[in-house]
Amino acid sequence: MTMPASGASPVLEARDLQKRFGDRVAVDGVGFTIAPGETYGLLGPNGAGKTTTISMICGILARDGGTVSVAGQPVDVGTPAAKATIGYVPQDLAIYPDLTARENLSFFARLYGLKRTDAKARIDDVLEVVGLADRAGDRTDQYSGGMKRRLNIAIGLLHRPQLLVLDEPTVGVDPQSRNAILESVEALGREGMAILYTTHYMEEAERLCHRVGIIDTGKIRAEGTRRELVAMVGQRDKVKLSATGDLGAAAQTLAREPGVADATANENGLELIVDDARGLLPRLLQAAADAGLTVSTVEVVEPDLEAVFLHLTGRALRD
Amino acid sequence: MKALAIAGANLTRMGRDRLGLFFVVLLPIILVLYLGLQYGSSFSPKIGVHAEVPGVLGDQLIAGFGEIEPEAWGVVRFADEAALRDAVERGAVDAGLALPDRYDERVRAGETVEVEFLSPAGKVGIGIQETVRGIVAEQAARVRAARFAAAETGGSVGDQLAAVAEIEPTLPDLSVSTETAGSEIFPRELLGFALGAQSQLILFVFITSLTGATQLILTRTLGVSRRMLSTPTSSATILLGEALGRFGVAMIQALIIVIASALAFGVAWGDPLGTAAVVIAFSLVGAGAAMLIGAVASNPEQAGAIGLVGGLGFAAVGGCMVPPEVFPPIMQTISHFTPHAWAIDALRALAVHDANLFGVLPQVGVLAAFAAVLLGLATWRLRAALAG
Repeated sequence: MTMPASGASPVLEARDLQKRFGDRVAVDGVGFTIAPGETYGLLGPNGAGKTTTISMICGILARDGGTVSVAGQPVDVGTPAAKATIGYVPQDLAIYPDLTARENLSFFARLYGLKRTDAKARIDDVLEVVGLADRAGDRTDQYSGGMKRRLNIAIGLLHRPQLLVLDEPTVGVDPQSRNAILESVEALGREGMAILYTTHYMEEAERLCHRVGIIDTGKIRAEGTRRELVAMVGQRDKVKLSATGDLGAAAQTLAREPGVADATANENGLELIVDDARGLLPRLLQAAADAGLTVSTVEVVEPDLEAVFLHLTGRALRD
Repeated sequence: MKALAIAGANLTRMGRDRLGLFFVVLLPIILVLYLGLQYGSSFSPKIGVHAEVPGVLGDQLIAGFGEIEPEAWGVVRFADEAALRDAVERGAVDAGLALPDRYDERVRAGETVEVEFLSPAGKVGIGIQETVRGIVAEQAARVRAARFAAAETGGSVGDQLAAVAEIEPTLPDLSVSTETAGSEIFPRELLGFALGAQSQLILFVFITSLTGATQLILTRTLGVSRRMLSTPTSSATILLGEALGRFGVAMIQALIIVIASALAFGVAWGDPLGTAAVVIAFSLVGAGAAMLIGAVASNPEQAGAIGLVGGLGFAAVGGCMVPPEVFPPIMQTISHFTPHAWAIDALRALAVHDANLFGVLPQVGVLAAFAAVLLGLATWRLRAALAG
């Protein structure tokens, strides 16, 4: 994962977003920023307030409070011009099933205000990006679920937005299409696009997102990089070494290494509790060798966002 | 213009929907053809005739069918009576007339002669029978006059027949004139297919518009409307585009009926500007109704049901199924709570009373008011739906 440029002005600034539906508070004080090239994950279970939050960010839903600006322009329901900076990919397959992919793209290109000649070139480009160029003339009701999802994303890219908002873009797709979608998102991030990605799939957030906001019952419960979130809840990595030699002596040696919180010997080898397993691993292996161990396998167990979510909310992500 | 793009997408989608195309294009054409063939031309019966050596009197009798007003009957001659009976039974002719052998000779000889009238089984054919009876009676009256003259003055019946023919035009005639008291319920200009074409236009434009609401609901439920709102497009433009799409469908439907009925059956719609104004105003009503149903119905099935029941109900009350001219006064008042009655009033005025655009402005104004109310309600509901 390429890290975004630090110090750049944020593309998205959302502050203290509020939304109520009757007596129910759907979003309560949500705020975050996204820098150019950064992928920000909004991770939470169904009903947590993800879609309501992004609907307000995209100017689809009137908010009860808070501010949103994208590329320095305030965004609201009544500010159509500012929406030209946002590419919105809804969770629904918001495409006409009785039109072809090219017709769908052409329709939305006109709504995004692209000129006819520009639109044609952009349509060809985005079809290539999502891998649908060879099926562009087919009606979309003949597409598989994954192809529809990819077209759904292509529409959001037509106008070269500065902020791409993806609302659970991989729901209901096969693993192959899912991987293709994730690769496309990674590529867009590398090109410098700011991406807001909502999901309840922890693996996707971990793979794509530089920073993650954990949202539940309409509030951001925690925010940061995966490592920061894990550290926030006091969880550490675990390194399991299958090894032979003087395991007891080696455990005492390794426990003294910086970054190692604990080291215990068991019948198969050693188990270490560390702060940053991936960073420490070369030094740990060297120290084990120096202690006379012969290491046959290494297993790194990192605490995941699922565990963080469970810690923060008291329930599992998919509850 | 973005609204046109939205309207264009709607029309393209309608073109892809085979069922929709059937209702918008094919069904009205089929009905126009059917009604046109049924009522599009005035009725002119064909009579089959068998006459063995008819002579001059027989030929004169047969020639009488060619002089019937307002339209001459077709006469088909048959060589024998069996063939004539067969043709009548099969419906190849509407009735048959068999003259006896040597008709002319026997009449002139003073014999009582019977002619045989054949009508198809199961059909009364009173009108045809009376017309034939009239033609035969007319010749019989001349023959009686000639016989009387021959008996009083001497000479042959044949000579006196020639004299009767000579003086008949100079004799005073007994004529019956027919006049309608008050205004005619169905003026002659409105008979034939014009009546049906006007009703079909109003009925179909409205029903097609209402069933088109299903497309709007699909656009909403698929999330396309919300997505449109995420683009730099105002909600007003989106609603205008959707309304234009519905209006376009209604106009296409109306144009098909007007053009097909005018070209195929010569239906006179009257002043083109006035007709255009009525059609546009009523299409706006249809578009407004479709938008409102599209805003309030929660799924396409519900919209389809509301559209069909509403479309047929309004058509019945508004005078598209039974001519409003035959409604009792209270029903005529009730019917004017529907836009259909106002549209039919306007079309009647244009086609029958030679009204022009200014003559139908009151009806067009009422239709525009209907459209404004419906579109206003629909916009209010759809704005709320779009805002989630």
